[in-house]
Amino acid sequence: MAGIFDLAQKSGARSCISIWGFAHLTPVGAKDFCNGVACMSISPATRYEPDVAIPALVGVSALALLLGHEVSGRQAVLLLIGAGLGVSLFQAAFGFSGGWRRFLRERRSAAIRAQILLAALVSLVFFPLLGGAVSGVSLHGAYAPVGISVLAGAFLFGIGMQLGGGCGSGTLFTVGGGHVGMLITLMFFVIGAVVGSIHLPWWTDLPSFGRISLLDSLGWPVALGLQLLALAALYRLVSGVEQRRFGGCESLVDAREKRPLLQRLVFGPWPVLWGALGLALLSLATLLVAGHPWSITFAFGLWGTKIWMALGGDISSWSYWSHGYAATALGRSVLADATSVMDIGIVLGAILAAGLAGRFAPAEVIRIRHILTAIAGGFLLGYGARLAFGCNIGGLLAGMVSGSLHGWLWLAAGFSGSIIGVHLRQRFGIDKPMDQTA
Amino acid sequence: MKNTRRRNRWIMGTFVGTAAIAVAIDHTRHRLPEPLPPQHSESAPNPSAVVIVDGDTDTPCSLETSPCSLEESPCSLDETTGAVDESPCSL
Repeated sequence: MAGIFDLAQKSGARSCISIWGFAHLTPVGAKDFCNGVACMSISPATRYEPDVAIPALVGVSALALLLGHEVSGRQAVLLLIGAGLGVSLFQAAFGFSGGWRRFLRERRSAAIRAQILLAALVSLVFFPLLGGAVSGVSLHGAYAPVGISVLAGAFLFGIGMQLGGGCGSGTLFTVGGGHVGMLITLMFFVIGAVVGSIHLPWWTDLPSFGRISLLDSLGWPVALGLQLLALAALYRLVSGVEQRRFGGCESLVDAREKRPLLQRLVFGPWPVLWGALGLALLSLATLLVAGHPWSITFAFGLWGTKIWMALGGDISSWSYWSHGYAATALGRSVLADATSVMDIGIVLGAILAAGLAGRFAPAEVIRIRHILTAIAGGFLLGYGARLAFGCNIGGLLAGMVSGSLHGWLWLAAGFSGSIIGVHLRQRFGIDKPMDQTA
Repeated sequence: MKNTRRRNRWIMGTFVGTAAIAVAIDHTRHRLPEPLPPQHSESAPNPSAVVIVDGDTDTPCSLETSPCSLEESPCSLDETTGAVDESPCSL
């Protein structure tokens, strides 16, 4: 890393380490914004890049029109929802891996508190909807068995999200932000998801308690009350840890920011609370339009398998792709798959947001160790997500807000894996030792 | 720094362009429906037959081949089907 600091001094720029572990160079005079998840340097001189923002906007609009014409209006709406998610994720830097790492290393809890708020807000709406409080709607939650498959998958995912530098949503929005290092993570995320889908039948044969739905067992009002109590306890726990270390907690809104609301909304960065609110609203929109909660990583396995087939690979022995939803998705256009379209939307939305913020494709220097950890992390992300029935979005968030106990198991296992991942990052020289960051 | 940034932009542009081409290839391999057999009726062609392809565009719960076909979440085990392996994200 010393070389980067030298380069920064020679070029008259400052160097900082991003939440993804890659080194960034930012112009002198840039202003730092800390939103609780990460500090981002924004230079007024480079703000708003029309050569990025305008093509991204045109791309989203053109693809939405194409989807409306070629597939269905529903797919077009899902693309726009995905783009909204990409903007929210990027502008608020709403990453799970960075937030968890910051808590583990520094005891700063703003990002985790925002994630808890997101889960609580979405639960408030999802529980009645999925619990049958509203008649005439046919919606489906994310349910999976509480068993070894989820336990192992989420644990591996937790390690992978620290090594790879992003979770499911984080990988997509950082790729959209132009972080070329994350392309390696994404590539191996896809490969891991394909390998995971091949091995999944073996994993699902391992012991499990089966699907446990709090909505079915307790009814939605009691289940919602319990869920909110558990989330409140978690919120209190993490904020207590931060309070003990610093004597107070970071705010979820940046009170120092004096720019007009509209300017902040368009050009960012957003306080992490705005990100949570935006993601909550768009999660609800996803449920209502797609009929199921927001998910990400199913598409990665689908893309990888399609590429394998296009290269002449044989998938006849891959039972996961031979029947059910997966086989249907494989047999039709990628643009007909809701998850794929939303993922494409997230990337395009993040490109748009990065262009508006003037932060597209930062000048990051990628070293060999970053490439190696991105490869290992990406593979673990994909493999783990497949075993765990989804990533931090489709498995953790969607599971929790659907009242499925596997979401809570995912949280425990994923966080445990992240502890290992954070230590591995230090071991590999990606992060400084913790005693040097306090 | 400028050169690194420019290089990264080129890499990203290449990635986006390649992805767009891949999606286009995949879509053109799947999208076209089976051609309808030629109609030899003496009566005038029924215009309603032409719009069937787009018939589901205004309903949010439909896909091109089967309306309301997303009965299962991409990340769930739908046990109502009675078989674990019928779940899309779960097998």
